[in-house]
Order: sequence, then structure tokens, then C-alpha cells
Amino acid sequence: MRARYPDRDGFVVRDGIKVAFEVYENHNPTILLMPTWSIVHSRHWKAQIPYLARHFRVVTFDGRGNGRSDRPTQSAAYADTEFVEDAVAVLDATATDRAVVAGVSLGAHWTALLAGLHPGRVTGAVLIGPTTSLVSVPHPKRALPPFGEALGASDGWAKYNMHYWRREYLDFAEFFFSQVFSEPHSTKQREDAVSWAQDTDPETLIAAEMVDPIASDVAQVALAGIRCQVLVIHGTDDRISPTTAGIALAKATGGALLSIEGGGHLPQARDPIRVNLAIKAFVDHVGRSGVLA
Amino acid sequence: MRARLCDIEGFVERDDVKIGYEVHGDGDPTVLLIPPSPITHARSWKGQIHHLARRYRVVTFDGRGSGRSDRPAKPDAHRDGEAVGDILGVLDAVGADQAILVAHCHAVYWSFLTAAAHPDRVSGVVAISPGVPFLGALNENFVDANAHWEDEVSAPEGWRMYNRSYWRRGGYENWIRFWFYTLAVEPHSSKPVEDMVTWALETDPETMILAAERNSGATLEAVEALCRSLQCPVLVLHGTEDRCQLPARGERVAELTGGRLVLMEGVGHLAPGREPVLVNRHITSFVDSIGGKPMRSQTWTRGLSRRRKALYVSSPIGLGHARRDIAIADELTKLAPDLEVEWLAQPPVTNVLEAAGHSIHPASRWLVSETAHWSSEAAGHDLNAFQALRRMDEILVANFMVFQEVVEEGSYDVVIADEAWDIDHFWHENPELKRGSHVWMTDFVGFVPMADGGAEEATLTADYNAEMIELVARHPRIRDRAVFVGSPDDVIPDLLGPDLPSTRDWTTDHFSFSGYITGFTPPDIDAIAAMRDRFGYRDGEQVCLVSVGGSGVGRALLEKVVLAYPYAKKELPDLRMVVVTGPQIAPESLAVPEGVEVVGYIDRLHRHLSVCDLAIVQGGLTTTMELTAARRPFLYFPLRNHFEQTRHVRYRLDRYRAGRAMDFYQSEPEDVAAAMAAELGRSIDYLPVETDGASRAAHLISELI
Repeated sequence: MRARYPDRDGFVVRDGIKVAFEVYENHNPTILLMPTWSIVHSRHWKAQIPYLARHFRVVTFDGRGNGRSDRPTQSAAYADTEFVEDAVAVLDATATDRAVVAGVSLGAHWTALLAGLHPGRVTGAVLIGPTTSLVSVPHPKRALPPFGEALGASDGWAKYNMHYWRREYLDFAEFFFSQVFSEPHSTKQREDAVSWAQDTDPETLIAAEMVDPIASDVAQVALAGIRCQVLVIHGTDDRISPTTAGIALAKATGGALLSIEGGGHLPQARDPIRVNLAIKAFVDHVGRSGVLA
Repeated sequence: MRARLCDIEGFVERDDVKIGYEVHGDGDPTVLLIPPSPITHARSWKGQIHHLARRYRVVTFDGRGSGRSDRPAKPDAHRDGEAVGDILGVLDAVGADQAILVAHCHAVYWSFLTAAAHPDRVSGVVAISPGVPFLGALNENFVDANAHWEDEVSAPEGWRMYNRSYWRRGGYENWIRFWFYTLAVEPHSSKPVEDMVTWALETDPETMILAAERNSGATLEAVEALCRSLQCPVLVLHGTEDRCQLPARGERVAELTGGRLVLMEGVGHLAPGREPVLVNRHITSFVDSIGGKPMRSQTWTRGLSRRRKALYVSSPIGLGHARRDIAIADELTKLAPDLEVEWLAQPPVTNVLEAAGHSIHPASRWLVSETAHWSSEAAGHDLNAFQALRRMDEILVANFMVFQEVVEEGSYDVVIADEAWDIDHFWHENPELKRGSHVWMTDFVGFVPMADGGAEEATLTADYNAEMIELVARHPRIRDRAVFVGSPDDVIPDLLGPDLPSTRDWTTDHFSFSGYITGFTPPDIDAIAAMRDRFGYRDGEQVCLVSVGGSGVGRALLEKVVLAYPYAKKELPDLRMVVVTGPQIAPESLAVPEGVEVVGYIDRLHRHLSVCDLAIVQGGLTTTMELTAARRPFLYFPLRNHFEQTRHVRYRLDRYRAGRAMDFYQSEPEDVAAAMAAELGRSIDYLPVETDGASRAAHLISELI
């Protein structure tokens, strides 16, 4: 059973691709909770929704490639800008002029792009464990092996490989989320994420993985276009996206940084109380500065 | 002593009326505190100023008719418009284009008039018990009194003392006392009431009459329109038991201004004085919400990733606490090696801590000096400790606010408060603020009235003791552990007050006992000989050390004792007297008879005391118990009117059969000399002092981490 069910749901369709959204009605402001990498769907916000929905209007959607949304087979359908335009379409479909937008990991990247490319729609951005090319930060630990090449090894990050996914997708998902949730005693969070990963399939994720990254000039325009207030939340033990990325992004956007000492890549799932309180305080703060009025 | 002195003071002069203002701090934004004059003045914000001035530029002034401001005799000079002019005049004088106004009672009306007429100057109003006329119902007693304001009556009672002719015939003081006792509905409010009465008596009845007869010329429609016209944010704070401004008025003000209403359940009219912590926090969060400051970056540590941390708050009164607290912390670190201990403390304790390599929290620099307050309270060999503690109220508020910020940022597992009265008291009064476990430590329980204070002081000490008993009974979760530094037998048997339990019974029921903690091990015979040799105390010499510790209180004792030397020397030819003046008294400033040696500071004086032949000291617990532990003969002179020294310490020393108590004011130098000879000749049959106290205390604390 979910702690809270949506008051209504629906689809937006762009270029024949259906994207499913859910709305938890309340008074404004609206909080838009962005999807992240299609390996999971909007249930990754399950610990936020019941709380935030008591205070604000909450809108979520499943990113293309998982959940109740379509799973296009063309890589181009997974371009960063497609997720950004899906978000705009969801805002339109839910009659949401402006929202505070929160995103995790790749979702934080799209949140920042949304804020920069559509500044009139975003009053505040919460960027959690951002995995983003908007700031260039060398990853200290992880150098990924070639994704498309058949590898002899299948240890550790060698599992991050197209051929391995086709063979041992579940094992990859278990490995990946063991890295995502680096905090001790994270069994339930890993279980949840692995089960959501099984709601999609390796071919969909491979298609998404093969997409070209956003052009750097577009990225720079987007970064320069961010005018709203920003809160970056980043775990110091994030093994997917280095803490330095969060620090750099906070600096580049003039945002505040909430550093979670000992936290991994998805603190909204692993440290839900702290993240919930931080999002609430951020929305209240944005509200006081008059932007939401 | 005040918690904070102003940085700038000055006067604004308007039509020959001078208005005195003060500026505290230089932060941003400017916050103007407006007292409801002339019945009170800027001092009524004493619980707010230190706290707010650490963040903002705080400006306050004495309204016309009060404090340092003039008392104009013309009725026109007391119109509401003049108050508005004074507010603007003060803002101009301090160069404030814009300010947040914080006002109490009828001063809220002036702040609204100012904000409405000059919206560009006012960015927000905190309206405490807003006295905006016509809104809501009036207290019927006040309506009745008002109707009889001009009556010629001989001896009015109660509310009817609000009477012009009665005030002119000398009844003003009676009315003021009645008024503030009526307004202070909260139990145990003696100090705020005393303050308000004192300030109200600093103006005069004629000025009060002019203010009372001020005709605002306003109507219900006009004040409603005024409230509706305000463009800035408004915060209304109102006690539900306010008898001056009924809470319905605050509710109506909030409704009309679109402001936020905070009702304070059970609070009366004197919230800034009686609920300073709550009021401070509301003002701060209101000001911060208007300031538009960006969110701060911060770090939050996952529960399992945290190091164990303790915040040790060591009372600054006397260095004895520092030594025992370091001893406890050392024992605690043995039991929990990963424990990180941070200290919130002030000089002179910080000097000892720094020398021992302990980590002092940087916020310690914000603490107001309690030592300076105690020195300021002493006269001769007289210090009324109870009244001094009462008068330390604004310092306790100021220091508590600093402490609370530290615990909210620091995620401590435990707070160890060694006689840090502010923490224990204000956490009980504001239980929602408690963070971490709380260990309360003390070496005495209960205020004791002094004879000089008469019946009034007996009433007050009983009231304070009753408040302690009630707070602890109501909120047992605040003290996770209460440690009495001593044994049950050390606790005085006196009743805490009429109809209250005995101090010993109550303490035994509510405390664990660590035994006494000296913080050092007394030297054995061999060590004594070696130390005497090192200190230059020769064989055959009877070394008498005279010391008054580290405070400036005690010059009178030194001056008296040295005069005893010639008399004593006749009886005791081997006598050698060494006077240690301590850091606060210059050795050369002390005139002494020939033969008396005077030194300023001696490092680790307790080591000298532990090997001397005779000591002459004040009545403080630390030094006398060090002498008891070291089994030295000593004379001690409790400070007159110091309830702890004259009652608690003496009772404990009597139990140990240690030392000879002396009355400073009854002892002539010849008497002191005779007592010296007698004490030197007595056999030492002191009860032994515990040596495991620090370890026992540490075990009691460690169970919480």
C-alpha cells in the first residue's frame, strides 16, 4: 500500500510518446518532482510525496523508459531536452504556471536545464546528488569501461556494460544500487530500487544510454539562464556522482549546499526525514522571498 | 550589570524635547525597539538587546516622558503624532533609511501610524500585545477605572487606583505596584515585576497624567483603516492572559493587517520580560524572513556517521569548577575514548582550559562575563549572592541564547552543565528547545534567605525554590541526570520554604551523588616535604597563606588579615605570612605591615595551599574543600549575605569538621590573630574527602552516551 495515492493522474503525449503524471492536489505552490535515470520511476519519491503533499501541491511523472510511461526504442527519444520538454508538458497539462522543481542524480541535471531554459516556470530548484555535465568535475573513483564493447571481466564497474546488461541485468542492478546506497543497513532501499529497475528492461536502458549528451553550448546557455534560488543536497559518500559536482553546481548557481556527511547517492530515499525537512524549508524560504506570491 | 552596553548613544531634539537613543551592534537590518512610554523605557527590552544585537543593528530609545528623555509639561507634546515624530527622528539620527519596528502595548499603535505614513521607512512590525485603540473588547475593570479617572476619592482600591487625584496625592506608586502585579499573571514573576515598577517610578505622576489624558482623536473606522493600509509584514505576539490588552485585540490586529498571529498560552502582558527566550526567537525568525537573506549552506551528518560529542558548560564563577570539570571530562574520555568534548566557557575558566589543551567553542566569545557581574555586586566583604543572581537575569538570557544556537548547530549527544543556571532554567521554561541529553551538576541546592533581607527575601527565596521544584516536577525529561557534587549528608536540612520539602529530602529524591570532586590528589608526606622545599617553605617555619582566589572580591579581607600579622607574630615567632592577591588586585596596591610578603599570581595556588601550615581564605567551597582534602588548618571568612558561603558551604565544612568559620565584620585583627594561633594548635580530625568523585560523576554521565 502506498502512504498516499494521487488525486488524479493522466498522460501527456509528445511525438507519439506517452508520459504518465500524477497530481496530489493542495494549495500552491506546486512542487514538481522530476524523474531520474529510467532505471527507476517516480516511486523513488515515495518518502517525499506524503509529507510534501500535506504542505504543497505535488506533481510527479514517470520518465520515459519506465513506470507507466512509454519505452521508446530510439536513443534520440532519451535526449536531455526531451525530459525537459516532458516536464514542461506536464506543467502545462496540470495547469501549473510555475513550480519549485526537485530532481535527483540525472534528474537534478534535467531540473537545472529546466530552470535555465524555462526560467519563467521554475521558482526554485532542489538538485540532489546531481549527475550533470553542466559543471565539469573529474570523477575521483570511477572510470567506466567502454559501454558497448564485449569485456572479459565482469567485476564491479565492468558490469556497466551493454553486453552484461543483456546477460545479467538483475546482477547489474543489484551491483549498481549497492553502490548507490553506500550507507550501511540499506537493504530496503536497495530492494526497492532493484524492483523498480525490473519494471523496465535492458534494451530500453541501452537505448537511453546511447543518446548523445547535451551540446555543451546549450548546456552553458542553460546554466547561465538559471535565475531561481537553488539548493544542492549532496552526500559525502556519493559513489556515483562526486561531492565536488554538488559543490561546483552550488557555486555556479549561487545556491546553498546541504552536505550530508556519510550520505550516498540517493539521500531522498536513505535519509528521507532530513531531505523532506530541507525541501520544506527551501520552499518556505523561496515563498518568503516573494517569488511564489 | 547589563548584558550589553550600547555602542553609540545620543539625543534627538524636536521642539526643545530631547529624546535619548542607543545603538547596539552594526548588523543588518536595523531593528528599532519601541517601548510603551512613559510608563517604561528602553530598559524594558533588556532581555532582547544582547541577542538581537549579535545579528542586527538594534536601536532603542526612551520615549518622551521616560528614562533619559525629557518630560515635557505641555499636553500637546504627548500627542501620538509626536511619538511618530520621535520614531522618525531617531531613525534619521542613526541614518536608518528603513527599519523593522518592534513595539509593545500602545507603542504598537505608534509603530502602525509610522508605517502607514512612511511605508518606505518600515519593512515590518512586530506587534507585542498590540495596544491599538478601539479594536476588540476592553478589560471591564479598566473601563470602570477610566470612568472614575477624574473622581476625587480619598483611598481608592484596586483598579480604581487609576485615578488622577490619587496619583497627585502620592498614590501613583501604589497604583504602579498594583498594576504590574496584576499584569504578571505567570507565577514566579517577581523580577520582571520589580523591574517594571522600578522603571515606572522613574517618571512622575504629572507626566503619566498627561499621557493618560492624551486624546488620540481616532475612531474605530480610522484604526481599522490604518491596520488595513499597512503594506509591510506584521507579526502579532499576544499572551492569552493579557489583562492590559485583551488577546481579542491582537487577533483583530492580525486579521486586519493580514499579519501572523502567535498566541502565547498562559502568558500575560509582560512577554518581553517574562518570556524573553520565546520573544527573542520569534523576533529573530520574523526579521530573518524579511531580510531576504540567502539560505545558508550547512552540513548534516547521518546518525551512524556521527562522532560522539559532548558540550561541557562550565560555570565561570570561581576557578574551582574548571578543575573539577576537567577532572570529570578526563575520566569521561577514559570511559568513552571516541568522545569529543567541546567547552562553552568564559574567562577565567577558558584560561585553565586552554592551558590544558581543551577545545573551546568559538561561540564562547559571545558570552557575557558573569565574573564581572559578581565583582560588580560585591561591596567590602558583602555580596548578596541570591540578589546578585536575580540581577543577573538579563545576562542569563543573553548567554542562554548563545548556548541554544550552539546546541542547535552542534548535534551534541550530551550537554553537561555544571551550575550553568541559564541552561537548566530556560530549558525547563522552554522545554521544546532541549537538544541532546542534559546532565545538571551542582554543589548546592536551594536559595537561603539572609537575615539582612528580612521577610521579603524569605518570600523571594521560597518563590524561587518553589519554581525550581515545580519546573522539575512538570518536566522530568529535561534533566536526564542530576548530579550533586557531594554526599546526601552535605545537603542542608533547611526547608526550601514554608510548605516546601526539606532541601535534603528533595535533593535526595532528585539527584545522584558523586561525592566531592577536588580535581586533584592531595600530596602525601613525602610529596609535601618535596613541595615545601621547592616552594621555599623552610623547616621550622609556620607558613600562613592568605588568598581570596581569582576574583576582585576580597580586598577588604586581605586588608584586615594583614593587620593581624603583628599580633600573631608575637604569639607565633615562627610565623611567615604570604599574601596572594590574585590576578585582579595589584600586589603593590596593598599596604602591609613589615614582615608580610605579598605576591600577585601563583601558578596552581592549590598546590601551595595543600602544603602550607595555615590558610586564611574566603568561604568559597572549592578552596575550603581543597584545604580539607589536604588536611590543612584554615580560617575562612564567608562573604556576608552570601547564602552559599554562609549556609551551604559552612554546613558542609562543619560535617567534615574542617576549618574555623570567622565573621568578617565581628573580627578585629587581634581576634584574627588569636584564631590563627588556636587553629594552628588544633589537631586535624577532618573526615577524609572522597578521591573518586570525578570517576563517579563520569560514570553517571557515560550512561547517557
